[in-house]
Amino acid sequence: MSNTIADEIVHHVKERQPLTIWSVLGNEYFLYCVSFISFLLIWHFIAAAGLLGLATPEATIKEMIRLMSVKLAGKNLFGHIWASSRRILIGFAIGAATGLPLGLFMALNRYVNAIVKPVFDLFKPMPPIAWISISILWFGIGEPSKVFIIVIGSFVPCVLNAYAGIRIIDPELYDVIRVLGGNRRQEIFYVSFPAALPALFAGIQISMSVAWTCVLAAELVSSRSGLGWIIIRGMKLTKPELVLGGMAVIAIVAWIFSAATSGIEKLLCPWKRGIKEL
Amino acid sequence: MGASPDRRVKIQVKNLTKRFGDLLVLNNISFDVADGEFISIVGPTGCGKTTFLNTLTKLIPATEGSILIDGKEADPKTHNLAFVFQEPTCLPWRTVRDNVAFGMEVKGFPKDKLEERLEYILKLVGLSDCANLYPNQISASMVQRVAVARAFAVEPDLLLMDEPYGQLDVKLRYYLEDELIRLWETLKATVIFVTHNIEEAVYVAERILVLSNKPTTIKAEVHVDLPRPRSLVDPKFIEIRKKVTELIRWW
Ligand SMILES: Nc1ncnc2c1ncn2[C@@H]1O[C@H](COP(=O)(O)OP(=O)(O)OP(=O)(O)O)[C@@H](O)[C@H]1O
Ligand SMILES: [Mg+2]
Repeated sequence: MSNTIADEIVHHVKERQPLTIWSVLGNEYFLYCVSFISFLLIWHFIAAAGLLGLATPEATIKEMIRLMSVKLAGKNLFGHIWASSRRILIGFAIGAATGLPLGLFMALNRYVNAIVKPVFDLFKPMPPIAWISISILWFGIGEPSKVFIIVIGSFVPCVLNAYAGIRIIDPELYDVIRVLGGNRRQEIFYVSFPAALPALFAGIQISMSVAWTCVLAAELVSSRSGLGWIIIRGMKLTKPELVLGGMAVIAIVAWIFSAATSGIEKLLCPWKRGIKEL
Repeated sequence: MGASPDRRVKIQVKNLTKRFGDLLVLNNISFDVADGEFISIVGPTGCGKTTFLNTLTKLIPATEGSILIDGKEADPKTHNLAFVFQEPTCLPWRTVRDNVAFGMEVKGFPKDKLEERLEYILKLVGLSDCANLYPNQISASMVQRVAVARAFAVEPDLLLMDEPYGQLDVKLRYYLEDELIRLWETLKATVIFVTHNIEEAVYVAERILVLSNKPTTIKAEVHVDLPRPRSLVDPKFIEIRKKVTELIRWW
Protein backbone atom coordinates (compact mmCIF):
# COMPACT_ATOMS: atom_id res chain seq x y z
CA MET A 1 0.00 0.00 0.00
CA SER A 2 1.32 3.40 -0.83
CA ASN A 3 1.22 6.13 1.77
CA THR A 4 1.67 9.09 -0.51
CA ILE A 5 -1.18 11.17 0.85
CA ALA A 6 -0.43 10.38 4.45
CA ASP A 7 3.23 11.17 4.00
CA GLU A 8 2.54 14.74 3.03
CA ILE A 9 3.76 16.92 5.80
CA VAL A 10 4.06 20.55 6.61
CA HIS A 11 7.65 21.69 6.40
CA HIS A 12 8.82 24.52 8.52
CA VAL A 13 11.35 26.43 6.49
CA LYS A 14 12.89 29.45 8.08
CA GLU A 15 13.33 32.24 5.63
CA ARG A 16 16.75 33.86 5.69
CA GLN A 17 16.74 37.61 5.81
CA PRO A 18 19.37 39.42 3.77
CA LEU A 19 21.90 41.36 5.86
CA THR A 20 21.18 45.07 5.55
CA ILE A 21 21.89 48.07 7.72
CA TRP A 22 18.25 48.02 8.86
CA SER A 23 18.31 44.35 9.76
CA VAL A 24 21.40 45.01 11.92
CA LEU A 25 19.87 48.09 13.56
CA GLY A 26 16.60 46.25 14.15
CA ASN A 27 18.29 43.13 15.52
CA GLU A 28 17.22 42.57 19.11
CA TYR A 29 20.71 41.70 20.36
CA PHE A 30 22.06 44.88 18.87
CA LEU A 31 19.30 46.80 20.64
CA TYR A 32 20.14 45.05 23.91
CA CYS A 33 23.68 46.39 23.62
CA VAL A 34 22.41 49.89 22.80
CA SER A 35 20.18 49.82 25.84
CA PHE A 36 22.93 48.59 28.16
CA ILE A 37 25.59 51.00 26.92
CA SER A 38 23.24 54.00 27.15
CA PHE A 39 22.44 53.00 30.71
CA LEU A 40 26.15 52.92 31.65
CA LEU A 41 26.78 56.25 29.91
CA ILE A 42 23.91 58.03 31.66
CA TRP A 43 25.05 56.59 34.99
CA HIS A 44 28.61 57.71 34.26
CA PHE A 45 27.66 61.30 33.42
CA ILE A 46 25.38 61.70 36.42
CA ALA A 47 28.09 60.36 38.75
CA ALA A 48 30.92 62.33 37.11
CA ALA A 49 28.85 65.51 37.49
CA GLY A 50 28.73 64.79 41.21
CA LEU A 51 24.95 64.44 41.22
CA LEU A 52 22.86 62.13 43.43
CA GLY A 53 25.94 61.01 45.41
CA LEU A 54 26.70 58.20 42.96
CA ALA A 55 30.02 56.58 42.20
CA THR A 56 30.96 56.15 38.54
CA PRO A 57 30.61 52.72 36.92
CA GLU A 58 34.43 52.51 36.64
CA ALA A 59 34.90 53.20 40.37
CA THR A 60 32.25 50.66 41.21
CA ILE A 61 33.77 47.96 39.04
CA LYS A 62 37.26 48.72 40.40
CA GLU A 63 35.98 48.44 43.94
CA MET A 64 34.42 45.06 43.21
CA ILE A 65 37.62 43.81 41.57
CA ARG A 66 39.55 44.99 44.64
CA LEU A 67 37.16 43.06 46.89
CA MET A 68 37.85 39.88 45.00
CA SER A 69 41.27 39.74 46.68
CA VAL A 70 40.91 42.04 49.71
CA LYS A 71 38.98 40.58 52.61
CA LEU A 72 36.12 42.45 54.24
CA ALA A 73 35.18 41.02 57.64
CA GLY A 74 37.18 37.89 56.89
CA LYS A 75 35.66 37.17 53.47
CA ASN A 76 36.49 38.30 49.96
CA LEU A 77 33.70 39.12 47.46
CA PHE A 78 33.15 35.50 46.52
CA GLY A 79 32.89 34.59 50.18
CA HIS A 80 30.10 37.13 50.61
CA ILE A 81 28.34 36.00 47.45
CA TRP A 82 28.46 32.45 48.76
CA ALA A 83 27.22 33.53 52.20
CA SER A 84 24.07 35.04 50.66
CA SER A 85 23.64 32.30 48.08
CA ARG A 86 23.95 29.55 50.66
CA ARG A 87 21.20 31.09 52.78
CA ILE A 88 19.00 31.36 49.72
CA LEU A 89 19.67 27.86 48.51
CA ILE A 90 18.97 26.29 51.90
CA GLY A 91 15.93 28.42 52.66
CA PHE A 92 14.53 28.10 49.17
CA ALA A 93 15.11 24.35 49.08
CA ILE A 94 13.19 23.89 52.33
CA GLY A 95 10.43 26.28 51.23
CA ALA A 96 9.98 24.66 47.83
CA ALA A 97 10.29 21.10 49.12
CA THR A 98 7.41 21.72 51.51
CA GLY A 99 5.41 24.34 49.57
CA LEU A 100 5.16 22.59 46.19
CA PRO A 101 3.90 19.26 47.56
CA LEU A 102 1.50 21.04 49.90
CA GLY A 103 0.06 23.07 47.01
CA LEU A 104 -0.30 19.92 44.90
CA PHE A 105 -2.00 18.05 47.74
CA MET A 106 -4.37 20.93 48.38
CA ALA A 107 -5.39 21.02 44.73
CA LEU A 108 -5.77 17.25 44.39
CA ASN A 109 -7.54 16.47 47.65
CA ARG A 110 -10.41 18.54 48.93
CA TYR A 111 -10.01 17.36 52.53
CA VAL A 112 -6.42 18.55 52.67
CA ASN A 113 -7.59 21.75 51.04
CA ALA A 114 -10.41 22.29 53.53
CA ILE A 115 -8.05 21.82 56.47
CA VAL A 116 -5.06 23.81 55.24
CA LYS A 117 -6.61 26.62 53.22
CA PRO A 118 -8.16 28.76 55.99
CA VAL A 119 -4.90 28.95 57.96
CA PHE A 120 -2.85 29.42 54.84
CA ASP A 121 -5.09 32.25 53.63
CA LEU A 122 -4.62 33.94 56.98
CA PHE A 123 -0.82 33.97 56.68
CA LYS A 124 -0.62 34.43 52.91
CA PRO A 125 -0.88 38.24 52.74
CA MET A 126 1.67 38.76 55.51
CA PRO A 127 5.00 40.01 54.11
CA PRO A 128 7.74 37.50 55.03
CA ILE A 129 9.88 40.29 56.45
CA ALA A 130 7.27 40.79 59.17
CA TRP A 131 8.64 37.55 60.62
CA ILE A 132 12.11 38.98 61.29
CA SER A 133 11.67 39.80 64.98
CA ILE A 134 9.94 36.53 65.76
CA SER A 135 12.61 34.71 63.82
CA ILE A 136 15.41 36.33 65.83
CA LEU A 137 13.47 35.65 69.00
CA TRP A 138 13.18 31.96 68.13
CA PHE A 139 16.49 31.29 66.42
CA GLY A 140 18.86 34.01 67.64
CA ILE A 141 20.88 36.18 65.27
CA GLY A 142 22.78 33.32 63.58
CA GLU A 143 22.16 31.61 60.25
CA PRO A 144 18.92 29.76 61.17
CA SER A 145 16.94 32.96 61.69
CA LYS A 146 17.94 34.26 58.22
CA VAL A 147 17.17 30.95 56.58
CA PHE A 148 13.82 30.87 58.37
CA ILE A 149 12.71 34.15 56.76
CA ILE A 150 13.66 32.79 53.35
CA VAL A 151 11.77 29.55 54.00
CA ILE A 152 8.65 31.54 54.83
CA GLY A 153 9.11 33.83 51.84
CA SER A 154 9.60 31.09 49.26
CA PHE A 155 7.02 28.73 50.75
CA VAL A 156 3.99 30.92 49.94
CA PRO A 157 4.49 31.42 46.16
CA CYS A 158 5.33 27.73 45.80
CA VAL A 159 2.06 26.69 47.45
CA LEU A 160 0.02 29.18 45.44
CA ASN A 161 1.47 28.27 42.07
CA ALA A 162 1.39 24.52 42.62
CA TYR A 163 -2.25 24.84 43.65
CA ALA A 164 -3.16 27.04 40.68
CA GLY A 165 -1.15 24.83 38.31
CA ILE A 166 -3.39 21.86 39.06
CA ARG A 167 -6.62 23.84 39.19
CA ILE A 168 -6.25 25.43 35.75
CA ILE A 169 -5.75 22.12 33.94
CA ASP A 170 -8.17 21.82 31.04
CA PRO A 171 -10.78 19.20 32.10
CA GLU A 172 -10.73 17.76 28.59
CA LEU A 173 -7.25 16.46 29.23
CA TYR A 174 -8.69 14.31 32.01
CA ASP A 175 -11.40 13.07 29.62
CA VAL A 176 -8.67 11.71 27.36
CA ILE A 177 -7.32 9.43 30.07
CA ARG A 178 -10.71 8.57 31.59
CA VAL A 179 -12.14 7.11 28.39
CA LEU A 180 -9.01 5.02 28.08
CA GLY A 181 -9.85 3.51 31.46
CA GLY A 182 -7.16 5.30 33.47
CA ASN A 183 -7.50 5.20 37.26
CA ARG A 184 -7.06 8.11 39.65
CA ARG A 185 -3.37 7.39 40.18
CA GLN A 186 -2.77 7.42 36.42
CA GLU A 187 -4.76 10.65 36.10
CA ILE A 188 -2.43 12.26 38.62
CA PHE A 189 0.84 10.97 37.21
CA TYR A 190 0.02 11.09 33.50
CA VAL A 191 -1.97 14.33 33.46
CA SER A 192 -1.95 16.44 36.63
CA PHE A 193 1.77 16.49 37.29
CA PRO A 194 3.10 17.11 33.79
CA ALA A 195 0.38 19.67 33.11
CA ALA A 196 1.24 21.55 36.31
CA LEU A 197 5.00 21.52 35.75
CA PRO A 198 5.24 24.94 34.04
CA ALA A 199 3.22 26.48 36.88
CA LEU A 200 5.59 24.91 39.41
CA PHE A 201 8.47 26.63 37.67
CA ALA A 202 6.61 29.94 37.70
CA GLY A 203 6.27 29.48 41.46
CA ILE A 204 9.95 28.67 41.78
CA GLN A 205 10.89 31.82 39.88
CA ILE A 206 8.76 34.01 42.11
CA SER A 207 10.10 32.25 45.20
CA MET A 208 13.64 32.97 44.08
CA SER A 209 13.04 36.67 43.81
CA VAL A 210 11.20 36.75 47.13
CA ALA A 211 14.13 34.83 48.62
CA TRP A 212 16.52 37.57 47.50
CA THR A 213 14.38 40.23 49.13
CA CYS A 214 14.31 38.18 52.32
CA VAL A 215 18.04 37.49 52.46
CA LEU A 216 18.83 41.18 51.98
CA ALA A 217 16.39 42.22 54.67
CA ALA A 218 17.84 39.66 57.06
CA GLU A 219 21.40 40.73 56.30
CA LEU A 220 20.57 44.39 56.67
CA VAL A 221 19.18 43.72 60.13
CA SER A 222 21.89 41.55 61.59
CA SER A 223 24.83 40.02 59.85
CA ARG A 224 28.59 40.02 59.38
CA SER A 225 28.54 38.59 55.89
CA GLY A 226 26.61 38.55 52.66
CA LEU A 227 25.82 41.03 49.91
CA GLY A 228 23.24 42.87 52.02
CA TRP A 229 25.92 43.41 54.63
CA ILE A 230 28.31 44.82 51.98
CA ILE A 231 25.68 47.45 51.15
CA ILE A 232 25.22 48.39 54.82
CA ARG A 233 28.99 48.51 55.19
CA GLY A 234 29.26 50.90 52.22
CA MET A 235 26.56 53.07 53.75
CA LYS A 236 28.30 53.23 57.13
CA LEU A 237 31.65 54.07 55.53
CA THR A 238 29.99 56.47 53.05
CA LYS A 239 31.54 54.59 50.16
CA PRO A 240 28.98 54.82 47.33
CA GLU A 241 31.09 52.51 45.14
CA LEU A 242 30.67 49.78 47.75
CA VAL A 243 26.89 50.31 47.93
CA LEU A 244 26.48 50.36 44.14
CA GLY A 245 28.90 47.46 43.73
CA GLY A 246 26.89 45.40 46.22
CA MET A 247 23.71 46.22 44.34
CA ALA A 248 25.24 45.35 40.98
CA VAL A 249 26.58 42.04 42.24
CA ILE A 250 23.15 41.17 43.69
CA ALA A 251 21.56 41.92 40.34
CA ILE A 252 24.05 39.69 38.55
CA VAL A 253 23.85 36.78 40.99
CA ALA A 254 20.04 36.96 41.17
CA TRP A 255 19.96 36.99 37.38
CA ILE A 256 22.16 33.89 37.26
CA PHE A 257 19.82 32.10 39.67
CA SER A 258 16.82 33.01 37.58
CA ALA A 259 18.53 32.07 34.31
CA ALA A 260 19.57 28.72 35.79
CA THR A 261 15.96 28.06 36.78
CA SER A 262 14.78 28.95 33.28
CA GLY A 263 17.43 26.64 31.88
CA ILE A 264 16.20 23.75 34.00
CA GLU A 265 12.63 24.56 33.04
CA LYS A 266 13.52 24.42 29.36
CA LEU A 267 15.12 21.03 29.90
CA LEU A 268 12.15 19.64 31.82
CA CYS A 269 9.39 21.34 29.81
CA PRO A 270 10.68 21.10 26.25
CA TRP A 271 7.18 21.61 24.83
CA LYS A 272 7.26 25.19 26.08
CA ARG A 273 10.06 26.00 23.66
CA GLY A 274 9.01 27.57 20.41
CA ILE A 275 9.90 26.21 16.99
CA LYS A 276 12.59 28.89 16.85
CA GLU A 277 14.53 27.44 19.75
CA LEU A 278 14.36 23.79 18.72
CA MET B 1 -34.50 -0.43 16.84
CA GLY B 2 -32.48 -3.60 16.45
CA ALA B 3 -29.40 -4.74 14.67
CA SER B 4 -29.65 -7.63 12.22
CA PRO B 5 -30.82 -10.69 14.17
CA ASP B 6 -28.01 -13.01 13.17
CA ARG B 7 -25.33 -10.93 14.96
CA ARG B 8 -24.52 -10.80 18.65
CA VAL B 9 -25.62 -7.63 20.38
CA LYS B 10 -22.69 -5.55 21.59
CA ILE B 11 -24.31 -2.41 22.91
CA GLN B 12 -27.80 -2.03 24.31
CA VAL B 13 -29.08 1.46 24.87
CA LYS B 14 -32.23 1.25 26.99
CA ASN B 15 -34.56 4.19 27.56
CA LEU B 16 -31.67 6.60 27.75
CA THR B 17 -32.68 10.04 28.94
CA LYS B 18 -30.39 12.96 29.67
CA ARG B 19 -31.40 16.29 31.12
CA PHE B 20 -29.20 19.26 31.88
CA GLY B 21 -31.33 20.97 34.51
CA ASP B 22 -34.61 21.68 32.74
CA LEU B 23 -33.16 21.08 29.29
CA LEU B 24 -34.23 17.68 28.01
CA VAL B 25 -31.57 16.58 25.55
CA LEU B 26 -31.90 12.83 25.03
CA ASN B 27 -35.50 11.73 25.22
CA ASN B 28 -35.96 8.05 26.01
CA ILE B 29 -33.68 6.64 23.33
CA SER B 30 -33.35 2.90 22.81
CA PHE B 31 -31.35 0.99 20.23
CA ASP B 32 -28.94 -1.90 19.86
CA VAL B 33 -25.61 -2.13 18.12
CA ALA B 34 -24.39 -5.50 16.93
CA ASP B 35 -20.91 -6.77 17.63
CA GLY B 36 -18.56 -5.49 14.95
CA GLU B 37 -21.16 -3.19 13.45
CA PHE B 38 -20.28 0.17 11.92
CA ILE B 39 -22.91 2.74 12.88
CA SER B 40 -23.12 6.36 11.81
CA ILE B 41 -25.10 8.90 13.76
CA VAL B 42 -26.24 12.03 11.99
CA GLY B 43 -28.31 14.77 13.54
CA PRO B 44 -28.73 18.51 13.79
CA THR B 45 -26.30 20.66 15.73
CA GLY B 46 -26.94 20.64 19.44
CA CYS B 47 -29.20 17.58 19.36
CA GLY B 48 -27.03 15.70 21.82
CA LYS B 49 -24.66 13.54 19.77
CA THR B 50 -21.66 14.47 21.89
CA THR B 51 -23.79 14.14 25.01
CA PHE B 52 -24.72 10.62 23.99
CA LEU B 53 -21.11 9.58 23.51
CA ASN B 54 -20.18 11.19 26.83
CA THR B 55 -22.84 9.22 28.70
CA LEU B 56 -21.74 6.05 26.91
CA THR B 57 -18.20 6.55 28.17
CA LYS B 58 -19.28 7.58 31.67
CA LEU B 59 -17.78 11.05 31.31
CA ILE B 60 -21.19 12.35 32.36
CA PRO B 61 -23.96 10.41 34.13
CA ALA B 62 -27.22 9.53 32.40
CA THR B 63 -30.39 10.91 33.98
CA GLU B 64 -32.38 7.76 33.31
CA GLY B 65 -31.93 4.53 31.43
CA SER B 66 -28.86 2.47 30.91
CA ILE B 67 -26.18 1.62 28.43
CA LEU B 68 -24.91 -1.94 28.44
CA ILE B 69 -21.82 -3.19 26.65
CA ASP B 70 -21.66 -6.98 26.38
CA GLY B 71 -24.49 -7.08 28.91
CA LYS B 72 -22.58 -5.09 31.52
CA GLU B 73 -22.98 -1.45 32.51
CA ALA B 74 -20.72 0.58 30.19
CA ASP B 75 -17.47 1.55 31.91
CA PRO B 76 -14.14 2.54 30.36
CA LYS B 77 -12.32 0.65 33.11
CA THR B 78 -13.83 -2.70 32.14
CA HIS B 79 -14.36 -2.22 28.41
CA ASN B 80 -11.69 -1.49 25.87
CA LEU B 81 -12.93 1.81 24.46
CA ALA B 82 -11.36 4.55 22.43
CA PHE B 83 -12.85 7.96 21.82
CA VAL B 84 -11.87 10.54 19.24
CA PHE B 85 -13.21 13.81 20.60
CA GLN B 86 -14.85 16.50 18.53
CA GLU B 87 -12.27 19.02 19.75
CA PRO B 88 -8.79 17.74 18.98
CA THR B 89 -7.17 16.92 22.30
CA CYS B 90 -3.49 16.25 22.57
CA LEU B 91 -1.41 16.29 25.70
CA PRO B 92 0.79 19.35 25.09
CA TRP B 93 3.75 17.97 27.04
CA ARG B 94 4.03 14.82 24.96
CA THR B 95 5.52 14.60 21.49
CA VAL B 96 3.36 13.30 18.67
CA ARG B 97 4.92 9.87 19.17
CA ASP B 98 4.24 9.84 22.91
CA ASN B 99 0.72 11.13 22.39
CA VAL B 100 -0.03 8.25 20.06
CA ALA B 101 1.53 5.84 22.56
CA PHE B 102 -0.46 7.35 25.43
CA GLY B 103 -3.50 5.07 25.26
CA MET B 104 -1.30 1.99 25.03
CA GLU B 105 0.69 3.15 28.07
CA VAL B 106 -2.45 3.74 30.11
CA LYS B 107 -3.80 0.36 29.15
CA GLY B 108 -0.48 -1.26 30.04
CA PHE B 109 0.57 -2.71 26.67
CA PRO B 110 3.81 -4.71 26.92
CA LYS B 111 6.81 -2.67 25.80
CA ASP B 112 7.75 -4.55 22.63
CA LYS B 113 4.17 -4.70 21.40
CA LEU B 114 3.77 -1.00 22.13
CA GLU B 115 6.86 -0.05 20.13
CA GLU B 116 5.93 -2.23 17.20
CA ARG B 117 2.36 -0.98 17.06
CA LEU B 118 3.46 2.62 17.54
CA GLU B 119 5.69 2.55 14.45
CA TYR B 120 2.94 0.88 12.44
CA ILE B 121 0.26 3.39 13.45
CA LEU B 122 2.51 6.42 12.97
CA LYS B 123 3.22 5.28 9.45
CA LEU B 124 -0.43 4.47 8.82
CA VAL B 125 -1.68 7.97 9.59
CA GLY B 126 1.41 9.66 8.17
CA LEU B 127 2.87 11.07 11.34
CA SER B 128 6.31 9.40 11.21
CA ASP B 129 8.02 12.54 9.97
CA CYS B 130 6.75 14.73 12.78
CA ALA B 131 6.84 12.09 15.50
CA ASN B 132 9.23 14.15 17.60
CA LEU B 133 7.40 17.46 17.35
CA TYR B 134 5.11 18.79 20.06
CA PRO B 135 1.40 19.45 19.44
CA ASN B 136 1.95 23.22 19.47
CA GLN B 137 4.30 22.81 16.52
CA ILE B 138 1.89 21.04 14.19
CA SER B 139 -1.25 22.16 12.42
CA ALA B 140 -4.77 21.63 13.77
CA SER B 141 -5.51 18.89 11.26
CA MET B 142 -2.35 17.05 12.29
CA VAL B 143 -3.42 17.28 15.92
CA GLN B 144 -6.67 15.59 14.96
CA ARG B 145 -4.71 12.89 13.15
CA VAL B 146 -2.81 12.30 16.38
CA ALA B 147 -6.10 11.86 18.23
CA VAL B 148 -7.29 9.38 15.61
CA ALA B 149 -3.99 7.50 15.76
CA ARG B 150 -4.13 7.34 19.56
CA ALA B 151 -7.60 5.79 19.35
CA PHE B 152 -6.65 3.27 16.65
CA ALA B 153 -3.53 2.27 18.52
CA VAL B 154 -5.24 0.69 21.53
CA GLU B 155 -7.04 -1.90 19.36
CA PRO B 156 -10.38 -0.94 20.87
CA ASP B 157 -13.35 -3.22 20.58
CA LEU B 158 -15.55 -0.16 20.68
CA LEU B 159 -14.38 2.91 18.79
CA LEU B 160 -16.32 6.15 19.25
CA MET B 161 -15.67 9.02 16.89
CA ASP B 162 -17.24 12.45 17.24
CA GLU B 163 -16.99 14.23 13.89
CA PRO B 164 -13.37 13.16 13.74
CA TYR B 165 -12.66 14.33 10.21
CA GLY B 166 -14.48 17.66 10.27
CA GLN B 167 -11.24 19.60 10.48
CA LEU B 168 -9.34 17.71 7.83
CA ASP B 169 -9.00 18.53 4.17
CA VAL B 170 -10.96 16.42 1.69
CA LYS B 171 -8.02 14.40 0.41
CA LEU B 172 -6.90 13.36 3.84
CA ARG B 173 -10.48 12.72 4.88
CA TYR B 174 -11.02 10.23 2.03
CA TYR B 175 -7.76 8.56 2.88
CA LEU B 176 -8.57 8.23 6.57
CA GLU B 177 -12.11 7.06 5.87
CA ASP B 178 -10.66 4.19 3.88
CA GLU B 179 -8.12 3.58 6.63
CA LEU B 180 -10.90 3.51 9.20
CA ILE B 181 -12.83 0.94 7.19
CA ARG B 182 -9.73 -1.16 6.72
CA LEU B 183 -9.01 -1.00 10.42
CA TRP B 184 -12.58 -1.86 11.26
CA GLU B 185 -12.46 -4.86 8.94
CA THR B 186 -9.18 -6.15 10.37
CA LEU B 187 -9.82 -5.39 14.05
CA LYS B 188 -13.48 -6.37 13.92
CA ALA B 189 -14.16 -3.40 16.18
CA THR B 190 -17.58 -1.91 16.75
CA VAL B 191 -17.61 1.67 15.55
CA ILE B 192 -19.98 4.54 16.35
CA PHE B 193 -19.19 7.39 14.01
CA VAL B 194 -20.85 10.77 14.51
CA THR B 195 -20.80 13.10 11.53
CA HIS B 196 -22.49 16.05 9.88
CA ASN B 197 -21.47 14.87 6.47
CA ILE B 198 -24.14 12.67 4.89
CA GLU B 199 -21.91 11.47 2.10
CA GLU B 200 -19.33 10.43 4.67
CA ALA B 201 -21.97 8.60 6.70
CA VAL B 202 -23.19 6.64 3.69
CA TYR B 203 -19.64 5.89 2.62
CA VAL B 204 -18.47 4.36 5.90
CA ALA B 205 -21.52 2.99 7.74
CA GLU B 206 -23.50 -0.22 7.67
CA ARG B 207 -26.40 1.53 9.36
CA ILE B 208 -27.20 5.20 9.83
CA LEU B 209 -29.21 6.54 12.75
CA VAL B 210 -30.87 9.86 12.00
CA LEU B 211 -31.60 11.90 15.11
CA SER B 212 -34.33 14.50 15.52
CA ASN B 213 -34.11 17.97 17.02
CA LYS B 214 -34.19 18.37 20.79
CA PRO B 215 -35.70 16.67 22.72
CA THR B 216 -33.85 14.08 20.72
CA THR B 217 -35.20 10.74 19.57
CA ILE B 218 -34.11 8.46 16.78
CA LYS B 219 -36.06 9.64 13.81
CA ALA B 220 -35.11 6.96 11.34
CA GLU B 221 -32.59 4.29 10.63
CA VAL B 222 -31.17 3.58 7.20
CA HIS B 223 -29.36 0.37 6.29
CA VAL B 224 -26.56 0.78 3.82
CA ASP B 225 -25.96 -2.63 2.31
CA LEU B 226 -23.61 -1.61 -0.47
CA PRO B 227 -20.51 -3.67 -1.22
CA ARG B 228 -17.10 -2.22 -0.39
CA PRO B 229 -15.11 -0.43 -1.63
CA ARG B 230 -18.01 1.92 -2.22
CA SER B 231 -18.15 4.40 -5.01
CA LEU B 232 -19.47 7.90 -4.48
CA VAL B 233 -21.00 7.91 -7.97
CA ASP B 234 -22.67 4.49 -7.82
CA PRO B 235 -26.42 5.15 -8.49
CA LYS B 236 -27.37 3.06 -5.45
CA PHE B 237 -25.01 5.11 -3.30
CA ILE B 238 -26.54 8.32 -4.58
CA GLU B 239 -30.02 6.97 -3.95
CA ILE B 240 -29.23 6.25 -0.28
CA ARG B 241 -27.51 9.57 0.11
CA LYS B 242 -30.61 11.32 -1.22
CA LYS B 243 -32.83 9.33 1.09
CA VAL B 244 -30.85 10.41 4.16
CA THR B 245 -30.73 14.00 2.92
CA GLU B 246 -34.50 13.89 2.50
CA LEU B 247 -34.90 12.67 6.09
CA ILE B 248 -32.69 15.44 7.31
CA ARG B 249 -34.63 18.10 5.43
CA TRP B 250 -37.57 17.25 7.62
CA TRP B 251 -35.80 18.49 10.71
N1 LIG C 1 -22.62 20.38 30.45
C1 LIG C 1 -23.73 20.88 29.90
N2 LIG C 1 -24.58 21.63 30.64
C2 LIG C 1 -25.72 22.13 30.10
N3 LIG C 1 -26.11 21.93 28.83
C3 LIG C 1 -25.32 21.19 28.05
C4 LIG C 1 -24.09 20.63 28.54
N4 LIG C 1 -23.51 19.94 27.53
C5 LIG C 1 -24.33 20.07 26.48
N5 LIG C 1 -25.42 20.81 26.78
C6 LIG C 1 -26.54 21.12 25.87
O1 LIG C 1 -27.01 19.91 25.37
C7 LIG C 1 -27.33 20.02 23.99
C8 LIG C 1 -26.60 18.94 23.22
O2 LIG C 1 -25.22 19.26 23.16
P1 LIG C 1 -24.20 18.34 22.37
O3 LIG C 1 -22.86 18.95 22.52
O4 LIG C 1 -24.36 16.95 22.81
O5 LIG C 1 -24.71 18.51 20.88
P2 LIG C 1 -24.12 17.88 19.55
O6 LIG C 1 -25.20 17.10 18.92
O7 LIG C 1 -22.85 17.18 19.82
O8 LIG C 1 -23.87 19.18 18.68
P3 LIG C 1 -22.74 19.46 17.56
O9 LIG C 1 -23.26 18.85 16.31
O10 LIG C 1 -22.70 20.94 17.47
O11 LIG C 1 -21.48 18.87 18.04
C9 LIG C 1 -26.97 21.43 23.59
O12 LIG C 1 -28.15 22.18 23.55
C10 LIG C 1 -26.08 21.92 24.68
O13 LIG C 1 -26.28 23.30 24.88
MG1 LIG D 1 -20.90 17.51 19.32
